[in-house]
Amino acid sequence: MAAPSRDLLRPLRLFGLFFRVGALNELQYRANFAIQIFQSAIALGTGLAVIGLVFSQTTELNGWSQPELLAVFGVHILMGGIIGTVIQPNMIRLMEDVRQGTLDFVLTKPEDSQVLVSVREFRIWQAVDAIVGMVVLGVAVAQLQVGVGLVQTLAFALTLVLGGLMIYCFWLILTIGAFWVVRMDQIVEMFEGVYQSGRWPVTIYPGWLRYSLTFLVPIAFAVTVPAEALTSRLTPETLALAAGFAALILAFTRWFWRFGLRRYSGASA
Amino acid sequence: MSLRAPMTSLAPATPPPPPVAAVGRARGLINFYLASIRLAIADQFQYRVANYFYMIGMVAEPVIYLVVWSTIARQQGGEVGGFTPGEFAAYYIVWTLVRNMNIIFTPYGWEQRIRQGELSGMLLRPIHPIHFDLGYFAGWKFVVIVLWLPIAAVLTLLFSPELDPRPIDVAVFAVAIWGAYLIRSVNYWILGMVTFWTTRVGPIFELVFTAELLLSGRLVPLSLMPDWAQRFADVLPFKWTFGFPIEALVGRLSEAELLGGLAMQALWIAIGSIGVMVVWRFAIRRYSAVGN
Amino acid sequence: MATNVGPAIHVAGLRKTFNVPVREAGLRSAIKSLVRRETTEVRAVDDIGFEIEHGEVVGFLGPNGAGKTTSLKMLSGLLYPTGGEALVLGHVPSRREAAFLRRITMVMGNRNQLQWDLPALDSYELIRAIYRLPQADFAKTRDEFIGLLDLGDLVRKPVRNLSLGERMKVEIVGALLHRPQVLFLDEPTIGLDVTMQKRIRAFVAEYNRRFGATVLLTSHYMADVQALCRRVIVIHHGRILFDGGLAELAARFNATKTIGVMLKEGTADLSAYGEVIATDDEKVTLRVSRADAPEVTTRLLRDLPVADLTIEDPPIEDVIELVFADAASEVAAG
Repeated sequence: MAAPSRDLLRPLRLFGLFFRVGALNELQYRANFAIQIFQSAIALGTGLAVIGLVFSQTTELNGWSQPELLAVFGVHILMGGIIGTVIQPNMIRLMEDVRQGTLDFVLTKPEDSQVLVSVREFRIWQAVDAIVGMVVLGVAVAQLQVGVGLVQTLAFALTLVLGGLMIYCFWLILTIGAFWVVRMDQIVEMFEGVYQSGRWPVTIYPGWLRYSLTFLVPIAFAVTVPAEALTSRLTPETLALAAGFAALILAFTRWFWRFGLRRYSGASA
Repeated sequence: MSLRAPMTSLAPATPPPPPVAAVGRARGLINFYLASIRLAIADQFQYRVANYFYMIGMVAEPVIYLVVWSTIARQQGGEVGGFTPGEFAAYYIVWTLVRNMNIIFTPYGWEQRIRQGELSGMLLRPIHPIHFDLGYFAGWKFVVIVLWLPIAAVLTLLFSPELDPRPIDVAVFAVAIWGAYLIRSVNYWILGMVTFWTTRVGPIFELVFTAELLLSGRLVPLSLMPDWAQRFADVLPFKWTFGFPIEALVGRLSEAELLGGLAMQALWIAIGSIGVMVVWRFAIRRYSAVGN
Repeated sequence: MATNVGPAIHVAGLRKTFNVPVREAGLRSAIKSLVRRETTEVRAVDDIGFEIEHGEVVGFLGPNGAGKTTSLKMLSGLLYPTGGEALVLGHVPSRREAAFLRRITMVMGNRNQLQWDLPALDSYELIRAIYRLPQADFAKTRDEFIGLLDLGDLVRKPVRNLSLGERMKVEIVGALLHRPQVLFLDEPTIGLDVTMQKRIRAFVAEYNRRFGATVLLTSHYMADVQALCRRVIVIHHGRILFDGGLAELAARFNATKTIGVMLKEGTADLSAYGEVIATDDEKVTLRVSRADAPEVTTRLLRDLPVADLTIEDPPIEDVIELVFADAASEVAAG
């Protein structure tokens, strides 16, 4: 097995490669697109209805105005689209590979195995959510009292990336658990439920819940923090915390992946 | 070449003895339900871990709404829409039980039933197939209720609900959750039968589910919805499967409203049952034309 | 209106046609099919008629797609006939009256009617409730059947833990607990090993003996039919080709054998030994009469460098073709 490339851009290049191949395949599934548009429309409608209900009773939620809450909603949908398009499909396929014992095919390839299992699958039609999310964000931003400038946009982009990476790590850690406990598909369903908590800024949740939604399941970093960046609420401390925690969890995930692989190969040897 | 004589006897000239005397019809149906419930409990008890996972995952939704509305209530000086945070807690915790009582045979299940030939097996029995679903899921509910108690206890500890029901509230609640189960069972049976005519059932089902989500009291207590929505909800069955049982227990209804609610449930069960009988006749004709 | 007078099963001019959608491959056709469905008519059952008396055990023979299962489904009420009439125990099956359904049973080869995760005994209790059987009577029947099939503790194990054969045994007991008077058995021994097949057959025979039940059995396996049926109905392309005594049909079925010959090297013209029905690179298949088979085999082994030689009963499709040809020539002869 050749030594994996040290090129830091390699993951991106691989991503691009798989994307071209994967996307071309998926585009044929027009039915999936239609269904996804329908489902996203319903979710959007329901979510807007709830926000409408909330703001029929009050003018602000925990200090967040209606356009600001709409921004949170938008980030939630956008991040949900990202998770559904690139993160979840890979993790579900990894779980399947572990269950069927076909992970070995990946491990014998000359690329870094963690990168490979993370970029090879797509559900391109889930990108509908990403687009819907961005539209909602656009509407929200237009209504914001305080304008959104270059600083906010950059901060938003940065925190979005950090948040996405953290969700990816969370998912991968959970999936690596599949090396030991094979039945993990119920976890997927539970995640969808817990992820709904991100529709609202995590500051509304009681302490213990807030900490869980920040450090246990990094929904705060994935949704609330980027929304904070966009609505000029982001403090340097939070940004530093996001960056620090991201670095930490990425390192841990890397180590855990290697650990899991050793266990996996050892078990099947 | 030897041909062994077949093992069967020559055809007797006389017809066979008449079948065994059967138990009466009404008693027979009750026995069937009891047997079904017993079977379902034994079956689902084996899956208690999977059931638990599912129920825990379901808790996220009401907890989120609970927190949101309690936050608003606190902001608005202690209550919103007539609910205090403690009352929201009560509403959404009782919600978790009612939500579980609402789970019935999914209309999406018909596709497999038809395709895999399960329906043929059911059609060979001298009993209307809906009884199989009603009986099995009813038994399942008993398992669910038992599993739910610890979850309710934990939620109570975490969110301090204000709950002080009168005996009549509890009694009506106990009946209403089963009424809700029946309404939903028959209504979604009818909806599911759409599958006999088309495979593109997704959009139809999802639209009904969405209407139910919005108009049943699942999202928010119905009193928080705009008036036009509440009037709309009054004439649809959704409120009577969700919001009504919860509000019966959470103690917001007068005696007249409690009994009136049960009457509405009975009405919707009757309408649904007639619907099932009528649509089933057409569905079975369609199935028997094509079959599997 | 049920009756025990007259034949158990009466069928006349029974027909079943399906409209099957037809579509060629390709994107163009796929789009066209969205707009307008093209269908073609398939005659699954094309004008069949017969009468079966109480207590008869009749075999329904024919290859796949011949119309056996469709006929059975019409007789059990699962399918509406397109035309003709059918009466089972005096009932019209497609009306699906409760009284009718209580007197019949249908066993389909690899379909599970019992609860998968529970012991069969639990499912039997449910069956008792479904058919409203009095307790004492039910228990007696159940224990009798368990004894007959020697099930012992198998009924206490979850059905999923049973082997295929054991599962079939507990399923068939479940199907007969209500002591039906008419049994429709659709490929009941499919996928089972020989011992299990024999046991199931013995059980069905015993059931027929004790309760005088009428049995309509479809099968691929001649052995099922030979063991149980005095009368067979051969059906092909939805039509009855033969309805009569088994002895008569057996004579025709057993008329030939197929011999497959593989030579160590080279090829040879084997037409001198029998009718060559297939050749490929390695194997030549001959058809010879049953009587000649041993002698031909000896000659082959003596004359040629044989690497492998198999002797088989001809596949049912071939045989039915022969039956069909016979029937056609009989018609031609007048």
